[in-house]
Amino acid sequence: MLEDAGFDEIVIGPAVDTFGGAGGESKARLFEVFGYPFIARKSRS
Amino acid sequence: MATEVLVNPDQLRGEVKKKYRDVAVKPHDAYHFHTGRPLAKRLGYDDQVVGALPDAAVESFAGVANPFSLRRLAPGERVVDLGSGAGFDCFIAAAQVGREGRVVGIDMTPEMLAKSRASAADMGLANVEFRDGLIEHMPVDDGWADVVISNGVINLCADKRQVFGEIMRVLKPGGRLQFADIANGKPVPESAVKNVDLWTA
Repeated sequence: MLEDAGFDEIVIGPAVDTFGGAGGESKARLFEVFGYPFIARKSRS
Repeated sequence: MATEVLVNPDQLRGEVKKKYRDVAVKPHDAYHFHTGRPLAKRLGYDDQVVGALPDAAVESFAGVANPFSLRRLAPGERVVDLGSGAGFDCFIAAAQVGREGRVVGIDMTPEMLAKSRASAADMGLANVEFRDGLIEHMPVDDGWADVVISNGVINLCADKRQVFGEIMRVLKPGGRLQFADIANGKPVPESAVKNVDLWTA
């Protein structure tokens, strides 16, 4: 979706266990939900 | 760019507002996600930077990862934070861009806006402001921002292509989007995706 929107130089950082130990942990585990940092550049053209 | 929006955007927005109103006014209640200083520590934010912030600026933080972990903001940059909540990431950003930079937080929840504005005033920050608005239609001029940040918000929008289109509009050519969000490794059934109640559960 980022590429479709016109971004390049897309980098995805390491997964974070955002929901571990929280009330939503079981649902997060069910669908392998993690948090991630992303960075992308708007093309100059 | 045609795309299917699987839930009613207004209904979803109403549920999100309700949830984050609670997080603003009752930050120490139990939620399905972590909040506040323990969450900031879990996500790898700098202890010293977070420790210097007043409780009101941190306690309602409900991000999902650290949008500053892949790139530190540069002094003088203009930054827009999508769904700025009680202002936590804006205050981190304000320290990184310094007095020559500017940070604009956008949020749709009145209780969050009141809290972030009060914290900014308490801290005497002149380079941060908070605007009432939707990230699908941002109150920001075309090409104003060097950087757009966000934390755990884009996943709560029904029409993500509209959001990314708005981000492209407000960014300068060559500008950066650095955000944090959740992603699932296993597919979520369409019946669940269409159930608005599950988006904020």
